[in-house]
Amino acid sequence: MSTLTRPPRIGRPTPLVDGVEKVTGRAKYTADLPAPGALVGRILRSPVPHGILRRIDTTAAERLPGVVAVVTGADCAVPFGVLPIARNEYPLARDKVRYRGEPVAAVAAVDEETAAQALALIAVEIEPLPAYFESAKARAPGATLLHENKPGNVEREVHNEFGDVAAGLAAADLVRKRKFTFAEVNHAHLELNATLAEYDPERGWLTLHSTTQVPYYVHLTVAQCLGMDTACVRVVKPFLGGGFGARTEALGFEIIAALLARKAGGTVRLQLSREETFLTHRGRPQADITLEIGMTRDGRITACAAECTQRGGAYAGYGIITILYAGALLHGLYHLPTVKYDGWRVYTNLPPCGAMRGHGTVDMRAAFEALLDEMATELGLDPFAVRRANLLTAPTTTLMGQKVMSYGLGDCLDRVETASGWRERRDRMPPGRGLGLACSHFVSGTSTPKHWTGEPHAVLNLKLDFDGGITILTGASDIGQGSSTIVTQVVGEVLGCDWSRLRVVSTDSALTPKDNGSYSSRVTFMVGNAAIQAAESLKAILVAAAARRLEARPEEIECLGESFRVAHSQDLGLSFSDVVKEALIDTGTITVKGTFTCPKEYQGDKAIRGSAIGASMGFSYAAQVVECSVDPVTARVTVHKVWVAADVGRALNPLAVEGQIHGAVWMGMGQALSEETRWDEGRGLATNLVDYRVPTMAESPDIEVHIVESLDPNGPFGAKEASEGPLAGCIGALMNAVHHAAGVRAHAVPLTPERVADLIEAKERTAS
Amino acid sequence: MTTLMPPFRLHRPASLAEAMATLSSTPGGRPLAGGTDLLVNLRRGMGAPPALVDLTSINGLDRIDVGADGLVLGATVDLARLGDDPRVRAGWPALAQAAAAVAGPTHREAATLGGNLCQDTRCVFVNQSEWWRAANSYCLKVRGDTCHVVKKSERCYAVYAGDVAPALLVLGASVETAGRDGTRRLPLADLFREEGRTHLALEPGEVVTAIRVPPPDGASTGYRKVRVRDSIDFPLAGIAMSLRRSGDGLASLRVALTGIASASVLVPDLDTMLGRPWAEIAGPLAEAVRKACNAVKTTVATPKYRRRVSAAAAVALGAELWAGQEESAA
Repeated sequence: MSTLTRPPRIGRPTPLVDGVEKVTGRAKYTADLPAPGALVGRILRSPVPHGILRRIDTTAAERLPGVVAVVTGADCAVPFGVLPIARNEYPLARDKVRYRGEPVAAVAAVDEETAAQALALIAVEIEPLPAYFESAKARAPGATLLHENKPGNVEREVHNEFGDVAAGLAAADLVRKRKFTFAEVNHAHLELNATLAEYDPERGWLTLHSTTQVPYYVHLTVAQCLGMDTACVRVVKPFLGGGFGARTEALGFEIIAALLARKAGGTVRLQLSREETFLTHRGRPQADITLEIGMTRDGRITACAAECTQRGGAYAGYGIITILYAGALLHGLYHLPTVKYDGWRVYTNLPPCGAMRGHGTVDMRAAFEALLDEMATELGLDPFAVRRANLLTAPTTTLMGQKVMSYGLGDCLDRVETASGWRERRDRMPPGRGLGLACSHFVSGTSTPKHWTGEPHAVLNLKLDFDGGITILTGASDIGQGSSTIVTQVVGEVLGCDWSRLRVVSTDSALTPKDNGSYSSRVTFMVGNAAIQAAESLKAILVAAAARRLEARPEEIECLGESFRVAHSQDLGLSFSDVVKEALIDTGTITVKGTFTCPKEYQGDKAIRGSAIGASMGFSYAAQVVECSVDPVTARVTVHKVWVAADVGRALNPLAVEGQIHGAVWMGMGQALSEETRWDEGRGLATNLVDYRVPTMAESPDIEVHIVESLDPNGPFGAKEASEGPLAGCIGALMNAVHHAAGVRAHAVPLTPERVADLIEAKERTAS
Repeated sequence: MTTLMPPFRLHRPASLAEAMATLSSTPGGRPLAGGTDLLVNLRRGMGAPPALVDLTSINGLDRIDVGADGLVLGATVDLARLGDDPRVRAGWPALAQAAAAVAGPTHREAATLGGNLCQDTRCVFVNQSEWWRAANSYCLKVRGDTCHVVKKSERCYAVYAGDVAPALLVLGASVETAGRDGTRRLPLADLFREEGRTHLALEPGEVVTAIRVPPPDGASTGYRKVRVRDSIDFPLAGIAMSLRRSGDGLASLRVALTGIASASVLVPDLDTMLGRPWAEIAGPLAEAVRKACNAVKTTVATPKYRRRVSAAAAVALGAELWAGQEESAA
């Protein structure tokens, strides 16, 4: 069989298959779903950051007319957490509260007013305990423990050393050690957290529609916490208004909605406010980083020693993964002959942190790129030259056991160097204006699933019926990143059929195969590969049918678009619907399956503890140059232009790739410039979109995207991830650009006007 | 958590007389225009007025009249229109610049001049949900008896963050109001008190109906807003200035600030600089501005930065206006 797809479905800018619904407003998000008669759910939250829960009295609330159900910690004794080894959070606090805003009770009532009145009638008695809002204080000797089984309030320590770092530092011509601090940030996804929970008391069935990136984890978690058989639970993910990692674990509100619906014996709509969505958090933790690098005169790195302390908040969540990632992705970007990493994930009395775009790697990478820049300057080397002196050659295996199969970083550097006019312009910038460079990378899917089941890492079904339509059934969560479009393109490319035959049905556990979820940039790579296999399998069935009808052997069949014929023959061939009719004889509806599993050799090195984190089949790479100015009056940093080149393996949908890269750069810029959660004794000062300063259109620079295609041998048609890799580079490049513009090295992020003003003032004081 | 909008009766009178009658017959009723400040605060549980009286249907209350006496602006002129009006931009640039600097474009379409002037003061301990404030034992401004910003303070330090007021102050504007006892006209400076709870010197039921701005007097005027983002943000500091020079000496100077105290304030004691060249003005101007700032920890930005940047921005604006005066004279 041979196939010619005209036009090709991949490699062409393709509008998202669900874009029409979004731009016309027809798309239904969780909060939009019609649910006549649904009860209103509301959550009562702890007013104190740490304390022993002495008493909750819900009697008065239960007596209030219109209140249908009240739940407390007594209604659920099963802890949850995304990592099977670290489940220590209850949907509603039991015994203790550990952060201000932690849910302690919830009500379902006929309307909002009644629900609000009911909350006011719940009496809660909490005996306060000492509370800690900084890692150092939580770790101090004698500090009260948040979790009895975690001495020193340390959730996880990580220590590893590859090669002889001391010898590496001794061999260096220049060694520099710097301390950095990165503020905590939140995803600020625009769609508020919401769950619609419907309980059918006759059958004992529960249906959840929820704002999640991981409907399968929600399904498992809710079943566990409610003690239900998973077969009695159905989880649907409707259109989603952003994820960025905030929704890569089942969250307390989803379980609370389910508890309320079951207790009420009906339907409950639970919608969180912006403040509550901020309090649910799961953002990138505040990080203290100490980084030491050794470098030769010609810019080669001889050693790297990194320490990272993450202020993790009150519960485990993804914490162990985050602290591992910060060390694991020191590797894989440059050639590092020796690396030492020490990490501490600390429990504090703040909302729990979690996964956020560029999971675990972002702050460490930004610090690394800033220190490289400082050392390059000190050695009189060009920042590009320093990166080039440390490039990898693919294929290679890092000290951590990661396999780098494709590596376009050198091309990325070339592209942004030329595009930004670096060589001609860098030494001739007007006062207060600067250029900065940084690189970054990320995994294309973590190669081991969080829940080890022995199942494939991705499964996709195709259904072909009498109508000639092909339904793509996928559990992959389209969270706006375009996964439904990617699977459609991939299936269309393999089948060569008309676009209009392809429909995607996604993320409904009653219909679609299980998928682990949209996290760690796994979907294009893993689900894309599964889609290729499924489509090839369907194609083989169609070709066999065509061969039967044409009385030829399958290998003689040639497909051009929707026409099937015998190669080199003069006959007109068969149309797609003829072939479908033939294929359905004696079988009826055809359902095929494609699966994908990362081979063992890409799942880390068993001899290296923790190496499953940061192991991936393909790494994306990015280089970017940021041009900024620093206002002499206000010290405000303005980003004027970003040139970013990203090695995405192959751009299956260049339009979506460009959008993802814009988003990554822009999100990095927000973290670099102005975004910062602020907690004052555990009180959220910026749990709203006025004080939590996400850049607006007015701050959005021109972002010039250059796509580099290194054709990864394992990726679907050579593709790798395209969404997380470029984020960290924007922060590092901006830190370096600010130095170029204003002569100050920022070691604390974000670079708010007041921070930069302080740096400039300190510099002027030293100069005078 | 989300606090529901409290129940209230919404009135939409067609005349000012009707509006005044409704306000005086409904104690605790509040005037409403664009709602960009009031409705957000009500939804967060800051007050529960029994009635809101929407002024935007009142005929003639949105006029922009330019005449020999200067500029007369109705209270419900929206900020987008004020910022775009070519006559305002030409004659009173500080005012147009300030109006165009408020919040974001969609806010400015709804927000009005009167509402912007009379906006409530703000504080990180106040502009939060009811749950948040309750868990923090409230404060002087809302239902409580302590100040979390300045311990043991008997006054409230919530900060006034209106952009338009300082521009109008340096332009010498006055306001017209209507209330139970009829109408009155007062200098804009007298509308404000530097106290977070009582920052407006209006009687219950009294509303601002118009703003009068004298004709241009040959001074150059401008407004500088310091903020982290060029949209949405309230000012960390805002500086309005009116400056006239005569040759190489200063002929007149008025500077007003916002975002750094519980009211928009005119910087006092600038007369000592009259007659001096710019080089001798910049230093004392910075010092005078710094002194006029009563910034405390009411915002997520530090008071130190707000004071420092007020002074720096004032000097930068002054230098620009000084240079502009030379050009216009030439």
